[in-house]
Amino acid sequence: MTFVVPVGPQHPMLKEPEFFRFEVKGEEIVGVDIRLGYAHRGIEEALSRRSYKHNVYLCERICGICNVVHSTTYCQTVEQLAGVEPPERAKYIRAILMELERIHSHLLWLGVAAHQIGFNTLFMLAWRDREYVMDLRELISGGRVHSAMNTIGGVRRDVRSEHVPTMLRGLDKLEQSARYYTDLWGSDRTILARCTNVGVLSKDDAIKFCAVGPLARASDVKVDIRKDDPYGAYGALSFNVITEQEGDVWAKGMVRLREILESIKIVRQALKELPSGPVRTPVELKIPPNETVERTEAPRGELIYYIRSNGTDTPERVRVRTPTYGNFASMKSMFAGGTVAEIPIVMWSIDPCFGCNDRITLVDSHTGKARVVSFDELRRWKK
Amino acid sequence: MMEVLSFFFNSLVFPGLLFASLIGLLYAGIDRKVTGHMQHRIGPPIWQEYLDVGKLMGKEDITPSAAQSLVFNVAPLIALGAVTTVMLLLPVNSAQPALTAVADLIVIIYLLNIPAICLMLGGYSSGGPFGSVGAARYVVQLFSYEFVFILAIIAVIARVGSLDLTAVVGYQAQRGWLILDLRLIPALIAMIISAQGKLMRVPFDIPEAETEIVHGALTEYSGPKLAIWRIVYNIETLVVAGFIAALFLGGPVAYTIGGFQIPGVADFLIKTLIIVLITTILRNIMARLRIDQALKFYWTFAAFLAVLSLMLVLVVP
Repeated sequence: MTFVVPVGPQHPMLKEPEFFRFEVKGEEIVGVDIRLGYAHRGIEEALSRRSYKHNVYLCERICGICNVVHSTTYCQTVEQLAGVEPPERAKYIRAILMELERIHSHLLWLGVAAHQIGFNTLFMLAWRDREYVMDLRELISGGRVHSAMNTIGGVRRDVRSEHVPTMLRGLDKLEQSARYYTDLWGSDRTILARCTNVGVLSKDDAIKFCAVGPLARASDVKVDIRKDDPYGAYGALSFNVITEQEGDVWAKGMVRLREILESIKIVRQALKELPSGPVRTPVELKIPPNETVERTEAPRGELIYYIRSNGTDTPERVRVRTPTYGNFASMKSMFAGGTVAEIPIVMWSIDPCFGCNDRITLVDSHTGKARVVSFDELRRWKK
Repeated sequence: MMEVLSFFFNSLVFPGLLFASLIGLLYAGIDRKVTGHMQHRIGPPIWQEYLDVGKLMGKEDITPSAAQSLVFNVAPLIALGAVTTVMLLLPVNSAQPALTAVADLIVIIYLLNIPAICLMLGGYSSGGPFGSVGAARYVVQLFSYEFVFILAIIAVIARVGSLDLTAVVGYQAQRGWLILDLRLIPALIAMIISAQGKLMRVPFDIPEAETEIVHGALTEYSGPKLAIWRIVYNIETLVVAGFIAALFLGGPVAYTIGGFQIPGVADFLIKTLIIVLITTILRNIMARLRIDQALKFYWTFAAFLAVLSLMLVLVVP
């Protein structure tokens, strides 16, 4: 006898509303239906109604956790459209902020992953150590989460030289705790019991379903936009692309934890080699008709921005493809043959961010009875 | 007349409902406070559990329309009755339990299972998918820990040679605590592991795993009925701790320090608190297992410990 376990739109496992319909036979999952669109906010439409300057603010609000990478990608795209190059120092400061954001995002992931497998102590400790990186972000930008640092043509605040020693001390503390968690993730018996051979995404599937970010890297697919298509200061910074072979939840966690260590290295190097000079280039924001695509490596994977300009100070169209959207396709094969107990950790292993994902309404068509946003609703919303 | 009065006093005040629920809720508060400190938080105040239960008691009583209302409503009350009865059968103030009827360890084992069965009935009758999954998981978990639990008790019985809990406590008063007997150490470890499963604490909080199935069998419960479940759970914690204390730690012993007579109940509270704290520490240093892993763990490692202890007691003189 199969029965349906509804997960969402409200469920303690999900931090944001989304609906997953699991068909369950005893404990085993026999079918899963993913329905997205609950956190739709109409941001893309709003982006094409505001000026380029305003949109920096709005882009940061697409995702709370990866706000810097969103605004950086947006700014890079507009800079490319306008044909300006931000100063070197600004690129380095952006890289520092993005890497701090990656550390912060991965520690957050670790905490919630621990909570998903019932390890609340690790959850609390990981989030305690996340405070270190938030303090560093506050030191540079004035904001613990939303930094509001980026602007078109550079950054708005400079990293002061007297802050560098404090930063380095903070990074040491972070490195210590990140090493501890890496050891713990690789040695704790209960974590290994819950995470190994669970939610396996094979290398072939990862390539077939176009997985991005840590999800792909855990399946031994070496993709990292920072390396494959260097942007900003990343061409000048040296770092390794972390990969793991197994493709299970444990490998996905290990990739993220080792990336924290790698990011700490990048921040140290960027602070050391921080070039001097201005942090901002003035930009004339009346951009002639043109279009461009820019991609970056967000903490969750590849983030793509497409902008078309039309000669005014407002973009005609902004399209954002967030990494979570790229990873949903892999989800079904990860759930196949799993049990109910695995749902939370496997779902969390792609580090889903529904807030950034739901800018369009998706309807899973093959169930037949999908709830569709009606055309009238859609029209009303466009006006 | 006196007998009737004392029966009511015993079952309703000491060591029955009032005492057990007050201490049980206090222990739950201590458990939450210690957990908070272990997790680098401040944690709620120790009396938080009283406030929570008090608040739940004052809420509207809701029975979901899909639920089998009779079973759904009666299940928490039967569970409360069962755990309170165990409290009467345990040595709390002295080796002699409050209820001196002929009742032995088998009755206690039986009564300790009633809350589990009520929880399953409540879950199945609640009419929600999470309740059913939670109840199904609890059935599996019951069959995992119960074998180990009973086997560990049998090791003690074989050692003492009596099915009577009073006799077990009396035996320890004369010959020393059973925890000091090396042959029974594996049984004690097995007992604590199975208590962890019985009390649904990490790594065996599988039937009420929050992130997986919301609150398991209790998902549809709210208001006063949920408050009763909380009280049942907290009394059960106290009862299981008291049971382990009676079996292995010599039960309540009255001491005389400097001319002051310290009643056995103080000793009972100290010993049970220590056992509760051990389970608290265990639940904070591990992740939750999957139900199949828990089953395997109980039937291999924990069962091995209990059988080993039983064999040692029977074979080694």
